[in-house]
Amino acid sequence: MLALSPLVRLRILLRSLAIQGSWNYQTMQGAGIGFALIPVLARLHRRDPASLAESLKRHTRFYNGHPYLATVAIAAVARMESEQAQAEEIERFKSAIVSPLGSIGDRLVWARWRPLCSLLGLTLFLAGAPWWVASAAFLALYNAVHLALRVWGLHLGWREGRDVGRALMGSPLRRLPDRLTIPLAAVAGALLPLLALGLGGPSGAGSLSVIGIALVLAVVGAWRPAVAGRLAVLVPLVGSLVVMALGSSIG
Amino acid sequence: MISRPIVAGPAAGLLLGDPEAGFWAGALLEVLSLHQLPVGASRYWDTGPAAVAATAAFVPGGGSVALLVAVGFGVIVGWLGSWSVHATRYLSARLVALEAPGTVTPASLTARHLAAMASDLLRAAALTFLAVWAFPRLAAGLADVPRLGDAVAAIILLVSASLMLGVDVRTIAWGGRVWAAFGAGAALSAILALCLR
Repeated sequence: MLALSPLVRLRILLRSLAIQGSWNYQTMQGAGIGFALIPVLARLHRRDPASLAESLKRHTRFYNGHPYLATVAIAAVARMESEQAQAEEIERFKSAIVSPLGSIGDRLVWARWRPLCSLLGLTLFLAGAPWWVASAAFLALYNAVHLALRVWGLHLGWREGRDVGRALMGSPLRRLPDRLTIPLAAVAGALLPLLALGLGGPSGAGSLSVIGIALVLAVVGAWRPAVAGRLAVLVPLVGSLVVMALGSSIG
Repeated sequence: MISRPIVAGPAAGLLLGDPEAGFWAGALLEVLSLHQLPVGASRYWDTGPAAVAATAAFVPGGGSVALLVAVGFGVIVGWLGSWSVHATRYLSARLVALEAPGTVTPASLTARHLAAMASDLLRAAALTFLAVWAFPRLAAGLADVPRLGDAVAAIILLVSASLMLGVDVRTIAWGGRVWAAFGAGAALSAILALCLR
């Protein structure tokens, strides 16, 4: 079996950062997976260009998991390739692993971690932190987990190979989204009064009214999300168009 | 993640001389776009150009009216960005169409992949440039709009942001524990904010 040197691991990791670069409706992340696998495939097939071309074609077919956990699939496939697994087995493995990786990553990163980091950044700013502290906190927090996931995925995929699915079943990643739900809701709640006051709420007794109104509106938004979501976008849109039309007529 | 509004907004603001204004424009766009999850083949606002355009619209004017206009303009740019991303995805499919006869080499795959990335970069740059160029022409005379509208604009923004924050929480989860946490966070934050004001 080919040893995955630290340099090759680093090259795969860096290439995985661009895995969505050619995202499209036909193969989705397919070309990105092939692009990230090049350092391994080029070494495995260095004496056989035809087999390298065939291998690259196979690995640029349809794939669409979560981009941050793609390193799990990439490293596991790299290991299977280095063990000279059958092409059909590798294809079956990729088809089987893509959904769990997508589901875990979407729930953990898109639905929990990113909103939590964004809301924390916003809360920091509205609580009085300088803008750069809020932006830097968002970037540092978010990317610490983002990069850790990629590195962890690379190690896990290479270590477990075709058995990586079993290892994922027992990993804490499956339970983490549920554990982040309550902190996320609490931070969203903490942001609401600060946002209400920051948007020009009056001082004194009026502040409490503004916060109360904002709270009621948030409950309405959660109660009727489809209508409220459209309204929340349309209200400033129409308002701004009216102001712009007014401005143009004056100008 | 530098394309998120709370990073792209202040970064654009820094270039224009007012990063705090950029953060405000970015913050409201962040709240409005937080529930959009980039899962599967979903389409969502292109928040990077939207935040830069909104900041460019907000910085010269200042005040709630300018912020309202900036957010509305940012929403439009975000939508246009979504459509342009949609078109670029078709272009990327053509660029990386490797099933055609011919030998695939690491160099050819890399070149096609990088070409797709470059097309997306150009798309975002062109959209941002067009938005920043177009705004002063679309909103000529904006500075002369009476400032009396500031309170109304602030109310509109408050309604919009509060409604969307509720939608964002609903996207996360739904249940008694979630609302208890939301309420506790809101109460604690309100008490601290009012006491420290």
